[in-house]
Amino acid sequence: MRRALLIAALVAGVLAPLAGSPYRAPQLDVQRLAAQIEAEQDHVTAVELAQWIRDRKPGLRVLDLRTPAEFEQYHVPSSVNVPLPQLVAQQFARGDTLVLVSEGGGHAAQGWVLMRARGYASVFFLRGGIQEWDEDVIRAPEQKELSRYFGGDRRGGC
Amino acid sequence: MALVIGIAFGFALERAGLGNARKLVGQFYGTDFTVFKVMFSAIVTAMLGAFWLSRFGVIDLASVAVPETWLVPQLAGGLLFGIGFVTAGLCPGTSCVAAATGRGDGLAVMLGLFAGMLVSGLTLPGNLNLTARGALTLPEVFHLPYGVVVAAVVAIALAGFRWTEARA
Repeated sequence: MRRALLIAALVAGVLAPLAGSPYRAPQLDVQRLAAQIEAEQDHVTAVELAQWIRDRKPGLRVLDLRTPAEFEQYHVPSSVNVPLPQLVAQQFARGDTLVLVSEGGGHAAQGWVLMRARGYASVFFLRGGIQEWDEDVIRAPEQKELSRYFGGDRRGGC
Repeated sequence: MALVIGIAFGFALERAGLGNARKLVGQFYGTDFTVFKVMFSAIVTAMLGAFWLSRFGVIDLASVAVPETWLVPQLAGGLLFGIGFVTAGLCPGTSCVAAATGRGDGLAVMLGLFAGMLVSGLTLPGNLNLTARGALTLPEVFHLPYGVVVAAVVAIALAGFRWTEARA
């Protein structure tokens, strides 16, 4: 038994230099990412996000990339503050749907590329950022029901 | 999961006799090589497992956490750790094993361990960022392919086993 283990270790060790690098090659398939962006599968609108939150979409995680001070001042309900350096270091459950939120959407779009490069499949960014959330959900007369759900403008209804 | 692994780890340490301070100190005096053999079988098993499982795509080696290196603080800490180890005859893990099997010295070492952590945590400045080298691995230090380092560690372990068996 002991002999067999020693021989197994020896064989596995001797073969190791011939096996190449154990690290996976970066899996960034730029063609596929470009196709996704072209098909607008990379982002959500504020209204879509609001519906997801209201409908309690399973595995939804809303990640706010702005500074803690900005986050403290105002944020999308149920979102958590994860600045970019933290976002690229943190591990998330593979099945979760990650929605990235920034001020105007630019940082979140860059975060989208980084997270796709890290191998997360279900990532989206809020297209127009927190501004779009405010304009299209919270203060939108045509989204009476949604805006009321999130505590926005109440004048429209009753 | 962590609890199961922890219990298995403690069980293996106790079975190897590493709850016994005499056995541990014997390593420092060159009279008992149990520590060397246990440590190196664990290193070789984990290393070969991590290497080959990554190579076959079962696990992702890049997402395995690597603790960061701070040369000077870790050398100082290592020296202090060594002195404590020889004096007490137990290291943190084995002191828990010794305490769990009802040995008084194990309990004393555990108390000392936590007291030491508390005191150093309260007194040392939190920003000892001396000689930070980041998350460093042996292939990076020696500029060698990963597999070559794996083979070298296996060779050192097997040669060590052979040498200690010959002495016994």
